[in-house]
Amino acid sequence: MREMILSELTQAMQDLARGFAHYLPRLIVMLILAFVGWLIAYMVKIVLRSILRLIRFDRLSENAGASQLLTKAALPSATEMLSRFIFWVTWVGFILLGVGVLGILGLQQQVERFFLFLPHLFAAVLLLFFGMLTAGFFARAALLAAVNANVPSPGLLSLAVRSIIMVFVLSVVFEELGLAQQTMLVAFGIAFGALMLGLAIAFGIGGRDLAQRFLEEKFVRTKKEQDEDELSPL
Amino acid sequence: MEDGNFLTDEFLRQLINVGEVDILVGLPTHNNAKTVGSIVHTIRTGILSGFPRERAVIINADGGSRDGTPELITGVSIDDVRPAPSVYALRTLHAISTKYASTPNSGVALRTILTAAELLRAKACIVISPESETIAPEWISNLLRPVYYDSFDLVSPTYRRHKFDGLLMTNLIYPMVRALYGIRVREAYMSEFGFSGRLGCQFLSQNRWNDGIGEDGIELRLTLAALTGGFRICQSFLGEKDHVERRATDLVPTLRQSVGVLFSALDSDFNAWSKVSGSQEVPTTGGDVELLLDPLRVNKKRLRDMFVNGVSELNSVFQAILSPSTLTDLNRIAGLEEEEFRYPAALWVRTIYEFAAAYQKSVINRDHIIQALAPLFRGRVLTFVVENRNGSALDVANDIEGLCLEFERLKPYLLEMWKSKE
Amino acid sequence: MDSNKDALWYKDAIIYQVHVRTFHDSNADGIGDFLGLEERLDYLQELGVTAIWLMPFFPSPLRDDGYDIADYDSVHPSYGTLKDFCKVLDSAHRRGIRVIIEMVLNHTSDQHPWFQEARSSHDNPRRDWYVWSDTDTRYKDTRIIFLDTEKSNWAWDPTSKSFYWHRFFSHQPDLNYDNPAVREKMWSVMKYWLEMGVDGFRLDAVPYLVEREGTNCENLPETHDILKELRRRLDEHFPGRMLLAEANQWPADLRPYFGNGDEFHMAFHFPLMPRMFMGLKLEDRKPITEILQQTPEIPPSCQWSLFLRNHDELTLEMVTDMERDYMYDTYAQNKTMRLNLGIRRRLAPLLNNDRRRIELMNAMLMSLPGTPIIYYGDEIGMGDNISLGDRNGVRTPMQWSGGWNAGFSTADPERLYAPIIHDPVYGYAAVNVVSQRESEHSLFHWMRRIIAVRKSSAVFGRGSIEFLYPANHRILAYLRRLGNETVLMVNNLSSAAQAVELDLRRYKGNVLIEMFGNNLFPRVGDQPYLLTLGPYQSYWFRLRRV
Repeated sequence: MREMILSELTQAMQDLARGFAHYLPRLIVMLILAFVGWLIAYMVKIVLRSILRLIRFDRLSENAGASQLLTKAALPSATEMLSRFIFWVTWVGFILLGVGVLGILGLQQQVERFFLFLPHLFAAVLLLFFGMLTAGFFARAALLAAVNANVPSPGLLSLAVRSIIMVFVLSVVFEELGLAQQTMLVAFGIAFGALMLGLAIAFGIGGRDLAQRFLEEKFVRTKKEQDEDELSPL
Repeated sequence: MEDGNFLTDEFLRQLINVGEVDILVGLPTHNNAKTVGSIVHTIRTGILSGFPRERAVIINADGGSRDGTPELITGVSIDDVRPAPSVYALRTLHAISTKYASTPNSGVALRTILTAAELLRAKACIVISPESETIAPEWISNLLRPVYYDSFDLVSPTYRRHKFDGLLMTNLIYPMVRALYGIRVREAYMSEFGFSGRLGCQFLSQNRWNDGIGEDGIELRLTLAALTGGFRICQSFLGEKDHVERRATDLVPTLRQSVGVLFSALDSDFNAWSKVSGSQEVPTTGGDVELLLDPLRVNKKRLRDMFVNGVSELNSVFQAILSPSTLTDLNRIAGLEEEEFRYPAALWVRTIYEFAAAYQKSVINRDHIIQALAPLFRGRVLTFVVENRNGSALDVANDIEGLCLEFERLKPYLLEMWKSKE
Repeated sequence: MDSNKDALWYKDAIIYQVHVRTFHDSNADGIGDFLGLEERLDYLQELGVTAIWLMPFFPSPLRDDGYDIADYDSVHPSYGTLKDFCKVLDSAHRRGIRVIIEMVLNHTSDQHPWFQEARSSHDNPRRDWYVWSDTDTRYKDTRIIFLDTEKSNWAWDPTSKSFYWHRFFSHQPDLNYDNPAVREKMWSVMKYWLEMGVDGFRLDAVPYLVEREGTNCENLPETHDILKELRRRLDEHFPGRMLLAEANQWPADLRPYFGNGDEFHMAFHFPLMPRMFMGLKLEDRKPITEILQQTPEIPPSCQWSLFLRNHDELTLEMVTDMERDYMYDTYAQNKTMRLNLGIRRRLAPLLNNDRRRIELMNAMLMSLPGTPIIYYGDEIGMGDNISLGDRNGVRTPMQWSGGWNAGFSTADPERLYAPIIHDPVYGYAAVNVVSQRESEHSLFHWMRRIIAVRKSSAVFGRGSIEFLYPANHRILAYLRRLGNETVLMVNNLSSAAQAVELDLRRYKGNVLIEMFGNNLFPRVGDQPYLLTLGPYQSYWFRLRRV
């Protein structure tokens, strides 16, 4: 009996050693890949940070309103965030490549899925960023136009414009990420429709006078008060 | 020449028939039938009385009128085909018209006129606004004589107008152009003006034409081109300026085509204006600027409200444009009662210069920067109206002069902002 | 000359205006004469003219270049004898050249025996042959014609102690046409010359024959009646002879002088001439077309007489003040050139000796509706001498050659009636008939050519005129039509090359034949006919349907 146990043990030890010896090179390769990946990711992060600083990316993200968000969340600047994000994505990518080398089947599939998901992730980030930029632009445009047209509550109008655009952007982002696609779309549809209906009612009934004044100002040349002279700026 | 393709074949044919001219009168129009009839007759009278021997042509650049404007203009031509017994003229006077586009664009209109002037080798040219109902025949002589006889290149008009008319000009355009470019041109943004063929050709070839996109305010560009190009400039007193009624909502387009053009020109003209200090008078003929002092009812409350409203609602926008101290000051005066309200000259100048620097750096969309100026301008208008409500012509003139000197004094501040990286 | 053959000969004529005194001196006394003229008739025949108009050659104190006549029945001894004159008539007629002479009806010299008698006493039978007055206030509304020399139309006669009327110089008292004796006498004077064989009269100063209080004493109905009577008698006794009116009036005021074809045959179109010069300077056809638009229709038997220059100043009476100032400033900056509301210069100096402009003006002269008159010397481009007083600067001796006295006379130069022009530009060495005959492209040969082309068709003398109004105002273009014949004249008034599009759609299918070279130009189609012309160039086209 003792010999059997010994021989089984020996066999098991031998299998383990064999298995270990089989996987060790791959492990070493994986570690090497991880290390190389870290180096590359670090270099990419440095280069990217320089480029972003050159193109004044921070300014752009300020316009987008992204900087304000980050500041509120006590996070570092947009340039830094993006650089770090790219660093981590690159390094994780290399690590996963290394994992793939290990040859563990189930893991390999997950790695593949991860790499397939990356483009969508990038696209979503881009969409979100530019969506925020656009929302910021149009919100400001609406604000300025409303202030100069003497429309009441210009801030509210600006916020409404920003919100609508952000809702739309978010729904597109979620669709891109493949998360709750239909739900988001429907939600957007409902929200947008409701807003439009609400505005129509507000204008049609509640804001009749306001609408009338607004339209008069836009299309009819009348003085606000009877006894006022218009000044010509030029 | 490639500019020839810019004109239609039909117009080119008409130009061939006109031939070389000494004097060219340009009239850009769009649906001006109400006013242009009498204006063009006055122009004709001015030509016949002031320059009876000279070869002259009236060129109408029309932006797609549907009310018969071009026909009203071509109808004043004098030739032997349709003899006009009531009018005596030594020689033929052509009045021709071309439709440069279906929608009006002052840049394309002026380009058409300049191209025609170059092809016809006109020595002296004037452009008249189709809305200047106060025009008199002497205006033609007053604008042309300095060019035709005294070799000036640009004749800028001066007028008799109400002290509160043209405040954008007196409180911003004039002092800023004076401080930066060093030349005291009262009406840098001109409705009517005279220019030499030489200046016209130069401007035509050097200006970056955008194929009609965003070219309103081209007249200001012409003035600036003359200022930086070493051309001889003078001013000529015309008479009463037509008071064109403008609504409150028209201020933004006006700002775009005046202040926007000025700000965008500062970049390309940096080498010229950065070296200038102080300012010089230009020769003026026919008399000085005249101010009418009759009382005017201005809605001060509305002006203040729009200013206050603008400052509060646009705070986030101003944060990107203005320095913290300027913004603080603006917030402070926005909090003042109506009787105490005052937008002092120094603060106004700092505001404008910071806006100009922000525009140069495109801290936000440039058009938004211009739009953001509108409520602040209203505040300045209020202060000017209040300070000068009982002022004599001399008082008003001194006030404007003080503002100009302030612009000149703070020019280094603008330069400093301009040159800084961020 | 058998004048009956063609009663309308004057419509086709090319008239050469010359003064006997200036043309050629045959007897070496320094003054041109009839025999000298006769010797040079070959030249005129070579040139191609068909009539000569002789300026006054009557006995005269010559204080107004012979327009102050002292004897209507004779010739000035300086120019020869009546017999010499008859020789000229014969020689001219043999060469097919008609002779038109002056007849000054309005006034005589104060040296005329008639005036001598009239002034001698208030009772003299001839007293009433002139217009007398005790005061100088009558006919106040009458303008003064010789503004530079006369202050009034009345002159004081110390002999008879009264004023006499004179529309011209004070030594030219006006005849009194209210007196039938005067009218009868003047007809008999004309009859005398007609019987000798002259083909026509240029009647000088006709608007002023009659005076009436409260009028401007010009163009009065009574004057027209007198003239009609003269014409009636002329037609009755001398058919085919011609009367040419000298009346410096607006076209509308000129029209009555044609009557219904029963007054003058021809009249000078004075207002057109300065406008041709003006149009040239302005480079704009407007002055020319406008005056012709205002020119009234005249009876079919009548004819306008056209000219560029003559013995008088280029008159600027019939233009506006602005036009006069323009003409002075552009053609006579030197104030000594100005005289009596006119400019006393010859054609070539007025046009700065620009051969192209001289040709252009002559081309218009030869093709506009009317009979052209060439002033002697202008066919070779003679210059003028402004230092000679009054209008004598344009009446210098004819320049025949580069030799002694320009071939005008063999006398000593000091004896010449006027000095020969000898500056380097217009002097006789540079400008003379002999050298121009030798040069193929001389002005003389060009004039010969254009006269020949004009004579080749009756359309120029007798055809209608229709202006084309191309959009290019520097181009003067018109059609002349007679029967089936149509010619097209295109003139470039500009100093630069021009392009012009002519609307000839009515003549679609016609080919244009250029009349000097007889070359074909493209056929007229539906499109506007494009022509390009060099500076001051003119085209004459015959339209022909092929």
